[in-house]
Amino acid sequence: MSATPTILANNVQIRRWSLARSFSIRALTLGLTIAVVSYIVLVPLFMLLYASVKSTDDKLPFESTVTTLANYAAVFTSPSTLPIFLNTLLFTAGSLAVGLPLAILIAWLLERTAIPARRWIATLILVPMTIPSLLSAIAWIQLLDPRIGLINVALRGLFSIDADAGPLDIYSLYGMCFVQGLRLVPSAYLMIAASFRAMDPSLEEQSAMAGRNIAQTTLRVTLPIMRPALLAALIYFIIVVIESFDIPGLLGFTARIRVLSTAIYWATHSEVGLPDYGLASALGTIILAAALLLMWLYQRLTAHQERFATITGKGYRPRQVRLGAWTAPAALFCLLYVLIAVLLPFLMLLWTSVQPFYAPPSAESLARASFEGYTNVWRDGSIVRALWNTTLLALVTSAATMVLAVLVSWFVVRRRGQGSGLAHYLATVSFLPQCVPSIVIGLALIFVYVRFPIPIYGTLWIIALAMTTRYLAYSSRATTAALMQVHGELEEASQMSGAPWTRTLRRITMPLLAPAMINVFLWVAVHAMQELSMALMLYNPDTAVVSTMIWSMWQNGKTADAAVLGVILILLSALLLLGGQAVSYLRRGSEA
Amino acid sequence: MISIRALEKSFAGARGEVRALRGVSFEVGKGELFTLLGPSGCGKTTTLRCIAGLEQPWAGEILINERAVFNAADGTFVPPERRRIGMVFQSYAIWPHMTVAENVQYPLAGEASRKERSIKVDEILQRLGLGELADRLAPNLSGGQQQRVALARALVAKPQVLLLDEPLSNLDAKLREQMRFELKALHESLDITTVYVTHDQEEALALSDRIGLMHEGALLEVGTPADLYLRPAHRITADFLGTSNFVRARVENGGNQPWDEMVLASPLGRFVALRSSEWQPGAEAELFFRPENVELLGESAGDGLNRSSGIVERAIFLGNSSDLVIRCGDIAVRARTHPGRVPAVGRRIGFSVAAASCIVFPA
Repeated sequence: MSATPTILANNVQIRRWSLARSFSIRALTLGLTIAVVSYIVLVPLFMLLYASVKSTDDKLPFESTVTTLANYAAVFTSPSTLPIFLNTLLFTAGSLAVGLPLAILIAWLLERTAIPARRWIATLILVPMTIPSLLSAIAWIQLLDPRIGLINVALRGLFSIDADAGPLDIYSLYGMCFVQGLRLVPSAYLMIAASFRAMDPSLEEQSAMAGRNIAQTTLRVTLPIMRPALLAALIYFIIVVIESFDIPGLLGFTARIRVLSTAIYWATHSEVGLPDYGLASALGTIILAAALLLMWLYQRLTAHQERFATITGKGYRPRQVRLGAWTAPAALFCLLYVLIAVLLPFLMLLWTSVQPFYAPPSAESLARASFEGYTNVWRDGSIVRALWNTTLLALVTSAATMVLAVLVSWFVVRRRGQGSGLAHYLATVSFLPQCVPSIVIGLALIFVYVRFPIPIYGTLWIIALAMTTRYLAYSSRATTAALMQVHGELEEASQMSGAPWTRTLRRITMPLLAPAMINVFLWVAVHAMQELSMALMLYNPDTAVVSTMIWSMWQNGKTADAAVLGVILILLSALLLLGGQAVSYLRRGSEA
Repeated sequence: MISIRALEKSFAGARGEVRALRGVSFEVGKGELFTLLGPSGCGKTTTLRCIAGLEQPWAGEILINERAVFNAADGTFVPPERRRIGMVFQSYAIWPHMTVAENVQYPLAGEASRKERSIKVDEILQRLGLGELADRLAPNLSGGQQQRVALARALVAKPQVLLLDEPLSNLDAKLREQMRFELKALHESLDITTVYVTHDQEEALALSDRIGLMHEGALLEVGTPADLYLRPAHRITADFLGTSNFVRARVENGGNQPWDEMVLASPLGRFVALRSSEWQPGAEAELFFRPENVELLGESAGDGLNRSSGIVERAIFLGNSSDLVIRCGDIAVRARTHPGRVPAVGRRIGFSVAAASCIVFPA
């Protein structure tokens, strides 16, 4: 080529400069992503471990210089902490005993039988997810409080029981298991239905060809094949129950039944005396170790399951069991679940929210009904601030989580192979928060920031940071799965067209990932709005959010106010989820 | 125009390191269409991606237009977006969230004014017969249309080099044949230096100015399609291109320069054949000839060099020709003939192969 030396030299200069720029932006982003993810995930866990081996006789754990196992010794010897382990065990076993069989039965009915209105039922089953656990607990207290609970009052009237309490008591281990079990059903149903769908129907048809009937096929072929999947679901939901806080927090408070997660809260928010951070961090470490062990088991099981992957891509539906006379009862059974898990609690909350003080429904109390509670909300400065804080928290958390998740998954997916060590590290560390219970993250962040030079303790940002850490695991998993569907050549074509990395990311990768990103944004926003335990560990009166507000209203006996805020929270969540549905519906419409 | 020098690359495979490229070197002249041909896993796509900058070799040098875009020794690496190369991917990689015009306009960003950009886009769309599809979204295009859009996008910014990665492999047979001619015509009219990767020998023979045959990460042989087909220097080349007869033989005497004539003793009789450049004196020899060079004679071939006879064992009708299997003792010789002149199965038949069509390889 004929180019004068000066022009050539200029070209080289320009090339070197832009080369350096485009590469350093990507390298810088990778470095930053690794640093941020490591910092937000690993530092709190380290601080938790550190605090758990520090004496707290008269100091905060991070001020003490004495290293000791006294905190663990106290946990395992004190008569006040030993029942916690038994309670956790019983609560977990009981909740799973209620939730999992229900979920398996519903999944089987919807996936393998000719149940009518399948699509409607499948959608309705998921509706309980819009109601925060905190509010299920409150609603069920109103329904099953031994003295004033609506159902108890009705039962006493119906059977002419002459007593002022009972026959049912929600403030018990049974009550806790019942409410928690009902809440597990939607997500357990999703997981189990997915493994029903992944199963090759010809395995069942083969059994039918061998002359077995439906019941025999189900028991001898379907369930044994699904055993690894069911076992994995079991382990997954053990973790979910162990880390749950809202239901044991509310019901167990009155019942004086403490489980690991609530014990951590009460150790740091003692009604009498100073917070015992040593005890809390020892309990936190124990619950974390249990969750890590279970998650390791779960990963092993599901990795095994993938090897047996039965997805065949054959487009035919498995044979459907005809239910005959059982058709109507089966459909009614599913609807009954929806009624008990959603409609009843929601109507109860709605009723409470329009009553100035709690009274069972009657002509008299109906006359008293008013929406005054809803108009009063806007006059109370602290409630308005909580609503504003919640909005801000949800937006900041979901935006931060989404950005971090996209970056993590880009490096995990696209750099697999080259520098795969870093990609593997990033994948592992970003998934770690999946097995760190929320209450433990809340606790650990206290340790990190109470004296740390970054002044976010006591602000809304520390809550946002806690939630970003917690939800990073789910979010980065979701975006990773989505990015793996985007063919690498689509990005390479952009590079070959002269686009630097940032432009490729902005113009090609992100638009193609948009549906997954919107889903992640909404999922995180709804969870951040409803989350209680992290907020409870980290808030102060200035940074109260709706969930902590409901919690303290409830503690202070302001039932009606709590119900008003609760209904608003549920409606906001439902609105967000509906908005997401509408967006994805419109997108699909515009592309077709 | 493009110089590839001693590229080395390995991947971490399931069973240790896999050497993807072993000292690959070749030159592509200005305006030439150079094809990398070979079976899957031979390193041809890796070589192409190294030229593009999407992969980094760990040794060697790549020059485009006499400028190093990669040099392992001094650490030069120009990223793909700075190499001014157009590339068509095997999947076409048409961005599904953009229209055809948006796809094609993408490489022009920041290069010219909006008006100039749309003129350039229109021009290339017209040229490739895509004018009416400009506002179509990518998912609503057929395979052939997607292929043209990918081509338009690769060419719109007037790159110095065009890379094509199996561009026809996703099309059905009829369309593939048609696009083969179109590609050839387009290349001739644009006169753009092109590197083409394929595993389809017919495609390579029909399109290329020169072909580089790759085998297990090494570039085995480079030559024009006729060179490679008619005078393969390596047994692997002979075997990969077209169909072949290989017969064990012993060299009796002959010249020692490549393409000298040699006399061989084989189970088929004595044959005169050309010495391939691969053949080493003293090695066990193998006689090679192609089915279409087998000339059928009468019932007996008679005596003499390059003649033999056998029983017609099978005749397979292929439409424009027929394939014969002639059984000569332990050896089955494949021959190709006009479908109207197929001898009856079971009949004895003589045949000859011209010395110029016979080559000696080491066994």
